Amino acid sequence: MTDDEARWIASAGAGDAVAFRRLVDAHAGALYRVCARITADKAIAEDAVQEAFFNAWRHLRDFDGRAAFSTWLHRIAVNAALEQMRRRGRVESALPEGEEGEDLLARALEARPGPERLARSAELRRDIEAELARMSVLERSAFVLRHHEGQSLEDISAALSLNVGACKQAIFRAVRKLRSVLEPSG
Amino acid sequence: MNSISDEDLVLHHYRDGLDPGELARIDAALAASEELRARRDALLRVLAEVDALPAPVADAGFERRLWRGLEPRLAVRAPRAAWLDRVRDWLDPPRLAWAGAFALALVAGAAFYAGRQSAPGPDEVAQARADATAMRVLDAYVAAHLRATEGVLLTASNSDSRELLDGNRELAASLVDANRLYARAAARAGNGQLADFLRQLEPVLISLANQPASTPVKGNEGLRDYLRSTDLLFQVRATQARLDRNGERRT
Repeated sequence: MTDDEARWIASAGAGDAVAFRRLVDAHAGALYRVCARITADKAIAEDAVQEAFFNAWRHLRDFDGRAAFSTWLHRIAVNAALEQMRRRGRVESALPEGEEGEDLLARALEARPGPERLARSAELRRDIEAELARMSVLERSAFVLRHHEGQSLEDISAALSLNVGACKQAIFRAVRKLRSVLEPSG
Repeated sequence: MNSISDEDLVLHHYRDGLDPGELARIDAALAASEELRARRDALLRVLAEVDALPAPVADAGFERRLWRGLEPRLAVRAPRAAWLDRVRDWLDPPRLAWAGAFALALVAGAAFYAGRQSAPGPDEVAQARADATAMRVLDAYVAAHLRATEGVLLTASNSDSRELLDGNRELAASLVDANRLYARAAARAGNGQLADFLRQLEPVLISLANQPASTPVKGNEGLRDYLRSTDLLFQVRATQARLDRNGERRT
C-alpha cells in the first residue's frame, strides 16, 4: 500500500468522497476483472463492482490494515459478484450428481493435442471462454478463486457456502470441462 | 502410480488440500514416473491455456458509469463528514423540489420568451436558442434526478441493513415531489416520452418511501422481483444516458 493510498483510505473512512473516488479509480479495473470472471457477464460484473465499492464505503472504518487493502476489496468484490448471481437465481444450490472420481485424463490421455491444436488460436480462446461461461456458477467461481485469485480451498468453501469436499469437486469439474475443450473426447 | 489420481495432481499443483505427507508422496512419484509426469504436464497445459486468455477489461465508459452510480449512494452512509451532509442536504426534498420548480419555470420562461421573440416577427434563431437552453437545463436536472433514483433503487434492492434502508426511505420520499415536477416540466416541453417514464417511476418511489421499516428483507425481495420483471433499472440508466448525450450534443 502506498502512502497516498493509506491517506485516501483514512480520509475516505472519515467520509471524504473525493478520497474514496481515488480508491475507486485505483481499484476498479482489478475488481471488474474478478467480477467478470466469476459472473461471465459484463453487465452483472459492473453491478457487482458498484455494490462492492458501496459496501467498501460503508465498512471502510472496519478495515484494520491486517490484510492488504486490495485483498480486502477483492473479498468484498467476490461476495458481491456471488450475491448478484444469487439474486438473479443463477447459483445452483448444489453441485450436480455423478462424475465424482472420474479420472480427468481417462478419456483422452493417449490423444495428446497436436501442435496446431495447442496453438493459441483465437478459436481455442473463444472455446475456453465459452466453456467457462457455460459451466455452473459454483464450478466457475471455485476455479476462478483458486486459480486466478489464489484463495485457499477453505476460504473458497466459506465464500461459496460449500464444504471443502464439494469445493474440490467443483474445481475438478471445472478443470475437466476445460480439458475437454483442448482434448475433445474421441 | 495408479493410486495418484488427476484430482490429486490438481491439488498438488495448487499445493492445497493435501497434507505434507501426500505432497511428498506425489513429488516422489512424479520424479519416478514418466507417465505421471505426462499426466501432470497435460494438466498444466490446460491451466496455461486458461492463463493465456486475455483478462476481462471493462469498456471505456465503465469508470464514469461506476462513479455516477456510486456518487448519489455515498450520501446515505452515516455518520458522515460535514461536507457530505451538505451533499445530502442537496438531495433533500426542498432542494430537489426547488430544482424541479426551477426547471419547470425555465421551460415555461423559454416558451414565453420564444413567443415574445416571434410576435413582432419570426426570429427562429432566438427561439431555437432559448428552447435549447431550457432543454439542456431540464435534461441535466432530470439526469441528476435519475442518478439519485438509481441509487435509491439499488440500495433498496441490494441492502438488508435497516440503518441504510431507513436513510434510503427518506431519500426516496425526497425524490417523489421532484419527480412529479420534472414529469410536468417534460410534458410542458413536449417531451411526452420522458414525462411518461417519470410518471411510471412515481409509484415506485412512493412505494419505496413508504416501505415498512419492520420488514426490510421481505420488502426487498418484492422489489427485486419487480425490478427484474420490469427492467426498470435498465430503463433508468438508459434514460439517464440518453439525457446526458442530449446535453452533450446541445452544448
